[in-house]
Amino acid sequence: MIGFIKKDLAMIKSNFKLLGILIIVYAIMGFSGEMNISFILPFMSVMIMISTFSYDNYNKWDAYSISLPDGRKNSVKAKYVATILLILIVAVITLILSFIISYINTKTIDYEQILVSMLGTIFGTLLVLTFMYPIIYKFGIEKARIAIFLIVFGVAIVGGFILQYIDLSFIGNSLSFLENYLVIILIVVTVVMVYISYKISEKIFSKKEF
Amino acid sequence: MENALEIKNLCKKYDNFELKNVTFNLPKGMIMGFIGENGAGKTTTIKAILDIIKSYSGEIKILGLDNKANDKKIKEDIGVVLDDMFFPEILTPNDINNTMKSIYKNWDTKMFYDYLKEFSLLPNKQIKTFSKGMQKKLEIITSLSHHPKLLILDEPTSGLDPVARAEIIDIFQSILEKDDCSILLSSHITTDLEHIADYITFINNGEIVLSKTTDELLDNYGIAKCKETEFKKIAKEDYIKYKKNKYGYEILVPDKKDFKTKYDISIIDKITLDDLMVLMIKGEE
Repeated sequence: MIGFIKKDLAMIKSNFKLLGILIIVYAIMGFSGEMNISFILPFMSVMIMISTFSYDNYNKWDAYSISLPDGRKNSVKAKYVATILLILIVAVITLILSFIISYINTKTIDYEQILVSMLGTIFGTLLVLTFMYPIIYKFGIEKARIAIFLIVFGVAIVGGFILQYIDLSFIGNSLSFLENYLVIILIVVTVVMVYISYKISEKIFSKKEF
Repeated sequence: MENALEIKNLCKKYDNFELKNVTFNLPKGMIMGFIGENGAGKTTTIKAILDIIKSYSGEIKILGLDNKANDKKIKEDIGVVLDDMFFPEILTPNDINNTMKSIYKNWDTKMFYDYLKEFSLLPNKQIKTFSKGMQKKLEIITSLSHHPKLLILDEPTSGLDPVARAEIIDIFQSILEKDDCSILLSSHITTDLEHIADYITFINNGEIVLSKTTDELLDNYGIAKCKETEFKKIAKEDYIKYKKNKYGYEILVPDKKDFKTKYDISIIDKITLDDLMVLMIKGEE
């Protein structure tokens, strides 16, 4: 599977610049006390990974990948692993940056608020992956494209609205005794959700003919 | 003789096309030319061999193993060039090397870069900057660099100029000598096959029309040319197909020598694979 992940990551090399610019924009906006756009970065990473499906489709990589050892299984698995890897890396960078911004702006770091909102962002981002990847594997990237934009921007706008106007700290305050469980529940739900999505995609791809 | 590839009663049905009981064997260490017009079923057969299409009936054995039950093991040992299917064009040969060395146990990085150098392909350029011929060469190099025991090549020389084609054909021949590899090569460019193929398998309209050694085919088959009066004397079992043109009749005969002894027709030309294809497809019975 490692080879297939390397191929997917090599495909998004040119997008690292874009992610870098977004991180700088985020930092500037954060320091100036403007809107919190930290959720955009993980969402961008899933969008970037989705763009790799277009290149795969254009050069008929999927059919070719089947001719490689364990290709049917590994190309799907690698797509999920590469996406999750990218989301997590970007999330960690955003998190560190958020801590720094929080410290410079307020001289304190609100770990709880930042962690909860990042966890929510990762959850939302993985929700996009969970729904989109099986759709892409079933119908192909061209047909799935419209659905992608609607879902991604829908989730991004709703996510942005929640982060901007709703104080998420109530989760920590009102449910403080459940806090540890809440995080665990969210993680378990996310893992189960992604796993089911992966199994569905794998099944679709295992039967696919080109 | 052991076979590198055995296909038995392969059937696959589409709405407008059908593979009908495709059966042929490729002995180990041999090159088989797989010929037929566009849409005859060459690519469909190759896709079935590689499990790219699934719902077919029949038996396919690769290097002695059933292709479905031993998918991973088999694919470690085969090299593939498919018509228009390859790595995404934004990748570079360097990326392909990085990817493939983690995919194939036997990936030979040195061999890959030696070939890149030999064909003047820059390792750090994106595939999309290469010409069609260069892209094809890269596909071929990639298919060779893990020392495969069987090469399955769908139109590997299409889009290449004669010089590049000759280079590629030389490589196939040297691979055969060095690595004891077998090759199934589908091509429209039948002149290439006449030079290198040990066997010719001809598919038409989803059916295998013939599968023979190239020598047997080119030595025995012939095209008799005659007038209508002479043609009418020829028994049906002595020819395969015929074509009428303004000068007379062209008759595809399976056994030149036998034909000569039976009939007083002086012009019996040697056959080329192109002639064979045209007469088999366009000729009348």
